[in-house]
Amino acid sequence: MKPSSLTQSMSWLHTWGGLIFGWLLFAIFLTGTLAVFDKEIDVWMQPEAPVSHVDQAQAAEHAISYLQRHHGAESAWDISLPTARSPVLSVSTGERRRNAPRQYLDPNTGEPIDIRETAGGRFFFLFHFTLHMPRNIGIWLVGLAAVGMLVALFSSLIIHKKFFKEFFTFRPNKGQRSWLDAHNATGVLVLPFHLMITYTGLVIFSLIYMPAAVDALFDGDREAAFGPGQPAKTEQQAAQGARNGRSQNEGRGEGSGELVALTPLQPLLLQAEQALGEVRSVSISHPGRSDARIEMRPVLGNRIELSKGLSMTFAGVSGEVLKMPEQSRWAQLTQRVLSGLHFAQFGGYPMRWLYFICGMASCAMIATGLVLFTVKRRRRPEAEGPIAAQLYHLAERLNISVIAGLSIACAAYLWGNRLLPAELSQRGAWEVRVFFACWALSLLHACCRERTQAWREQLVCAAALCVCMPLLSLATMTRPWAEPIRAYLELSTVACGALFAFAAWRIGQKKPAPAPRRQSRNVSQELLNAD
Amino acid sequence: MLIEFFAGLLLVYAGMVALCLGLKRHFKSVWQREPSVTWCRTFRVCGWLLLALGFAACIASWGWAQGPVGWMGQVSLAGLALVLLMPYRPRLATLLPLLGLPFLLSALLLA
Repeated sequence: MKPSSLTQSMSWLHTWGGLIFGWLLFAIFLTGTLAVFDKEIDVWMQPEAPVSHVDQAQAAEHAISYLQRHHGAESAWDISLPTARSPVLSVSTGERRRNAPRQYLDPNTGEPIDIRETAGGRFFFLFHFTLHMPRNIGIWLVGLAAVGMLVALFSSLIIHKKFFKEFFTFRPNKGQRSWLDAHNATGVLVLPFHLMITYTGLVIFSLIYMPAAVDALFDGDREAAFGPGQPAKTEQQAAQGARNGRSQNEGRGEGSGELVALTPLQPLLLQAEQALGEVRSVSISHPGRSDARIEMRPVLGNRIELSKGLSMTFAGVSGEVLKMPEQSRWAQLTQRVLSGLHFAQFGGYPMRWLYFICGMASCAMIATGLVLFTVKRRRRPEAEGPIAAQLYHLAERLNISVIAGLSIACAAYLWGNRLLPAELSQRGAWEVRVFFACWALSLLHACCRERTQAWREQLVCAAALCVCMPLLSLATMTRPWAEPIRAYLELSTVACGALFAFAAWRIGQKKPAPAPRRQSRNVSQELLNAD
Repeated sequence: MLIEFFAGLLLVYAGMVALCLGLKRHFKSVWQREPSVTWCRTFRVCGWLLLALGFAACIASWGWAQGPVGWMGQVSLAGLALVLLMPYRPRLATLLPLLGLPFLLSALLLA
């Protein structure tokens, strides 16, 4: 091989690194972008949940009275309150566990209601970093892809020679040149977001990817490294709670079962709101006993710092504050702010939309890059030998099934929520199966059809699924838009559908005959002269 | 908060338009004539000033911690919108901030 310049070798790295990780990155970015609205998708996928007309304090009172009536003997209650993003009120009992069965209540009346089982918007969130793979395989793959993304971003800075000169340049209808322009524009203009989201994504799992420092300095003890780490603490509390609960039940058995009334929650909620911001959940340990504890946790989005595990504790009977929320230590704060930047829970809906559209721009950047790879090699696929030709052929198919096919799968996942029978057991798992089945079908379709046909048909399919979402709701629900969040979500899918339809229409258009290479060079020369 | 948000969006978009017109090629594509050096320089200064004003609006909207994050997002997306609109409707892309102004003013008066 002849020695090549830095630009050439970086260009090679960018092309092949980008191609190999591009498909994976597109899937990660698209599901991550959708996960920005995970709670809203949850609300849409639980259409039985009624609109909440009451404030949190009233909903909490309803939940307490339900729990007193039905679960008075339990040692712990957990109430998840309706918030600005989600009107759902639910309770669970027993020691606090992630997957405890939840009972949904009507926040307006406190009556129990049945809500269909669903994997919800949480599926997009989980897929985004686990790829639906067991153990930590997915997390490692995603980490690898993120490093690949950083490599692609930094190499692009070296190979993009006219970074500022072509800052605002997009020349449509010029074939390969347009794809490159679009790739550059989405890459350059949204570069701060690309860098931030990729780097902070790695920071979230820094302890999985690089455990050495904490292992060496603190013997792997996260709590020692980062101050009172949350997971260890809840386990301790749970164990303690279990012990106390047992002794309490024994105490009751001896006949001293006098129930002590809980303090009203409203003033406590106000206090917690002042200290923490909007409250998401209330857990009560030992309800009915004189040493009852009330713990309130905020929603994640009241500050940039990811406030997972932040809480404020009150005495259950007197209502006095026992524990104010802790301040994070500097190292922990740094990690949590970086994670918070990635989780995008702060800044309300305007910020959420900025993150969503920036995420879409990232998807577009990756997609245009992938398409550009194949467009460049379409003219003379045989030039680099039969194996390369096979590879390019495969790349075309994968592009179709990753870019268009994944969009179909995401839309089909939402359709599955409405169309699968409500009484199906393991319903959430079936929704996920619908997602993967549609994705696999799209790959099959992409392999069977001619390239342009496959692109157009799959984009039309995605467009139809998105645009018809309101009709689906209308056909399957009685009052589909009673909760405005559902109406907004469907408006958004219609907008996405319009974009897919536009893309399909552009592919359907008769292209200008591809100019031979020499001529296109003349054209660009003319442009340069014109400058 | 919403008014500051949209004010910020309008300001940073206007800023990006000004920076864009500060480049010869784009000035020509909009006004069909060569810009003088003074014009280019004026546009660039105005562009940065407008971006700074947009920054102030973001701080007013989100505070000092979250404001810069929002500003970055707004600048990126305003730039992207401008780039996509420019080749199809160059005049509209440049004059869009002026069209947005009455909406913003009426919102301010109503608030």
